[in-house]
Amino acid sequence: MSTEIVEMHLKLLFDLDNLLNDMDEPTYKKIGFKVEEQEKQSLIKTRTDLLKKLPRETADIYERLRKRYQRAIAPVDNGFCFGCFQRLPTQLLARREKIITCPNCGRILYWRKK
Amino acid sequence: MNLASLLSKDRIILSLKPGKKNKVIEDLVYTIKQGVDAELIVSTLLKREELGSTGIGKAIAIPHCRSLAVDKLEIAVGRTTKPIKFNAIDKKPVSLIFLIIAPPQDPGNQYLITLGKVVQIAKEIIKKKLIGKSQTPEEFITLIDQVEKGLKKGK
Repeated sequence: MSTEIVEMHLKLLFDLDNLLNDMDEPTYKKIGFKVEEQEKQSLIKTRTDLLKKLPRETADIYERLRKRYQRAIAPVDNGFCFGCFQRLPTQLLARREKIITCPNCGRILYWRKK
Repeated sequence: MNLASLLSKDRIILSLKPGKKNKVIEDLVYTIKQGVDAELIVSTLLKREELGSTGIGKAIAIPHCRSLAVDKLEIAVGRTTKPIKFNAIDKKPVSLIFLIIAPPQDPGNQYLITLGKVVQIAKEIIKKKLIGKSQTPEEFITLIDQVEKGLKKGK
């Protein structure tokens, strides 16, 4: 599987997990948006299917990080990991050929397109 | 932070072409992002809609999600020229849409606070029959500002 496809699956998985996390926030529930429990279960199944599409190693890293930090992926901004706010080594910034994790917190790093 | 300060005139479409719900969401997302990022955002927003419509009734819809594709809270607003089907909770069509995208890392949980604020302001606009008043995006931003200030005073 190409790095681009893995990245795409990871991003989608991450966004779905954020959706599910927000649904459980008391502030969100108070706003009053309608959430169907049956559909929520179906979304949980979609994220499980998406996880299965990832290479085993990547899926394991993602799940481990999600359990530890809730958000497994951190954007990179101005050379900083936006998960732990540590500056990333320059040589790491030049490597873009595979899924890269932060040497400090371990989160999967994501470079936004400018 | 007030809502008006988060709005930008190039992300307010006051004569949004009516169409299918998904198309209208897409049109609004494209005022914020293009290409693969826009596709990813649309896909997450549609997943959110599957969980239950964000049409909160009284002609208002507030599609929303978090996405890695944005680095700050982004809002787009659309007013359709004709009400559209949105599977809203009151089963009535929708004509005022606030689309909200937040980054995953969100200091102070601005996203949920803003969502709550938008719901309140949008309801006030409908209640006071102000929806058709603005002719330009600038007027719309001024309207949001006035409504928000009015709500604060009323507290």
